Amino acid sequence: MQQPIFSLLDVERTYELRASGWLNRTPRQLKALDGVRLDLQRGDTLALVGESGSGKSTLIRLMLGLEPASDGRVLYGQRDLAQLDAEERKRFAREVAFIYQNARGSMNPRMRIADILAEPIRLHRLCEESAIAPRVVALLDRVGLPAGLLQRFPSELSGGQIRRVAIARALAAEPQVIMADESVAGLDVSVQAQVLNLLRDLCRESGITLVFITHDLGVASYLCEKIAVLYLGRIVEQGPTDAILNTPRHPYTRALLQAFPRFDAPLKASLSGEIPSPVDLPKGCRFAGRCAQVQAACRETDPALTALDADRQVACLFPVAAI
Amino acid sequence: MSEAMNIAPLARGSQWKQRFLQPLLRQRSAMAGLAILAIYVVAAVCAPWLATHDPTAQDLMAALQGPSAAHWLGTDSYGQDLYSRLLYGAQLALIIGFASVALGLVVGVAIGLAAGLMGGRTEWVLMRIVDGLLAFPELILAMAFMAVLGLGTENVVYALALSFVGPFARMTRGDVLQVKNQPYIEAARLMGVGTAAVIWRHVLPNVVSPILVQAGMRISIAILLESGLSFLGIGVVPPTPDWGLMIAEGRAFITMAPWISGVPGVALAILLVALNLLGDGLRDAFDPTTQKDA
Repeated sequence: MQQPIFSLLDVERTYELRASGWLNRTPRQLKALDGVRLDLQRGDTLALVGESGSGKSTLIRLMLGLEPASDGRVLYGQRDLAQLDAEERKRFAREVAFIYQNARGSMNPRMRIADILAEPIRLHRLCEESAIAPRVVALLDRVGLPAGLLQRFPSELSGGQIRRVAIARALAAEPQVIMADESVAGLDVSVQAQVLNLLRDLCRESGITLVFITHDLGVASYLCEKIAVLYLGRIVEQGPTDAILNTPRHPYTRALLQAFPRFDAPLKASLSGEIPSPVDLPKGCRFAGRCAQVQAACRETDPALTALDADRQVACLFPVAAI
Repeated sequence: MSEAMNIAPLARGSQWKQRFLQPLLRQRSAMAGLAILAIYVVAAVCAPWLATHDPTAQDLMAALQGPSAAHWLGTDSYGQDLYSRLLYGAQLALIIGFASVALGLVVGVAIGLAAGLMGGRTEWVLMRIVDGLLAFPELILAMAFMAVLGLGTENVVYALALSFVGPFARMTRGDVLQVKNQPYIEAARLMGVGTAAVIWRHVLPNVVSPILVQAGMRISIAILLESGLSFLGIGVVPPTPDWGLMIAEGRAFITMAPWISGVPGVALAILLVALNLLGDGLRDAFDPTTQKDA
């Protein structure tokens, strides 16, 4: 078995909430992530899927080392992310790139596109000063943008262009892992297709490991070979894309699939209600309140993520039978 | 590729024009201010060649003379040539104005950056010091420091700079607090950009323009305060050609020889008006919240 590039060992992330009352001063805890176990192999393409508030973004911020894990460990290669020394941190910064959901906001409004793209190259001394300019042009070309944009400022570019610049910047440092947070959400369909194709080609050609956050199962299935479904801070189902989409074993995954619009079937709102508050989670399975086939035991026992077969895991006491 | 290279300098030039020059050119009063300031700067720089007399040469035989061919703007009670003193006085006023604001800006921005970026206890301590500085009116603070430091041109610069540290520090900190939570700062850190480079490349350029506008407006205040200090006798040392000193000297002879106070007074007034026009123009041109309808 290959050495995983990222492993998350029972990672938790809790936020302390200030108590609102005068008398009740005990702080409440919000569990954004609760016991997440995940292994990422080199070359994997993983989609993190889930509703808003399911902890997708928190998970990716933890994997980037932007926030510390409250409990459990995030390993990059063999090393704990929280204990990297300066040298390793620098290497990590070069090897792992992040594409922000807010692509425009992630770029300094006072810098030109040319400087934005040159910054990581110059920073990690990837090539000589004279070779930077052609390299920046090549990067832009790779994401299908004309060199004429080089002297523009981020505010002068359109939404699709700026996201492609963000991808170009992520590629500039020649990373091994790219993480992207909702990178196609809110784009019109044609631009979305361009960006998706670009990412897909990149992964296939360069063997880049991709972690892609999305709430769109269609995007996930197009781009990624693996899917992890998150619900309230825990991975409830994980496995190869085909298997999950064709035979979802967790009721939540199934409900998500049914909520996805299709041409040949009427749309039914299979998930009623909002995702519950992650503060003061109820006892038992966290999905029990919205689950269609909830049973008495579900309200008592919190199911752990258990392996169904070699590469398929589900966190449900009574997994839906494979059809 | 070659095409991109050809376009680059051109685009850069026109961009600069569009962003800085055009909004400023549209401000007519600012351009008038700039023109007057330019005349003062030329006069100050060329003072050694334009002056007809040594500014500190006394000629008691020619004291209290009105404007004449020998002394274009007349002489004061020591017989010093007012025209020459006016030119050298412009030099001193502009040097003190720019130097004190520059010093106050550097120190103030450094404090503001440190407070805004570090936060916590450092911020609390720094901002309480700044509050202390801001509690005094500028002139009082400068006077107190002149009393401690003693007379002299350099000390005037230090005293004035100190009174400007507070406003610059507070303003910088406010903007830094806003900028430091922007995603591009986090993105830069994530890419592995070092702290110094993050501050220099990502934080500073995004807080600097309101600070520079403020600096422009402060120069006129600095010159006024400096003249005030000298007028009160706690600024530069007497024979130095200084407008505040000249006004003070002429006070006793205001009925007999009004030009002694009048000449530097008018020069000071015109310079201050010009600087204020320029400052207002800068603010209107670069601060979107105060943009006037044309």
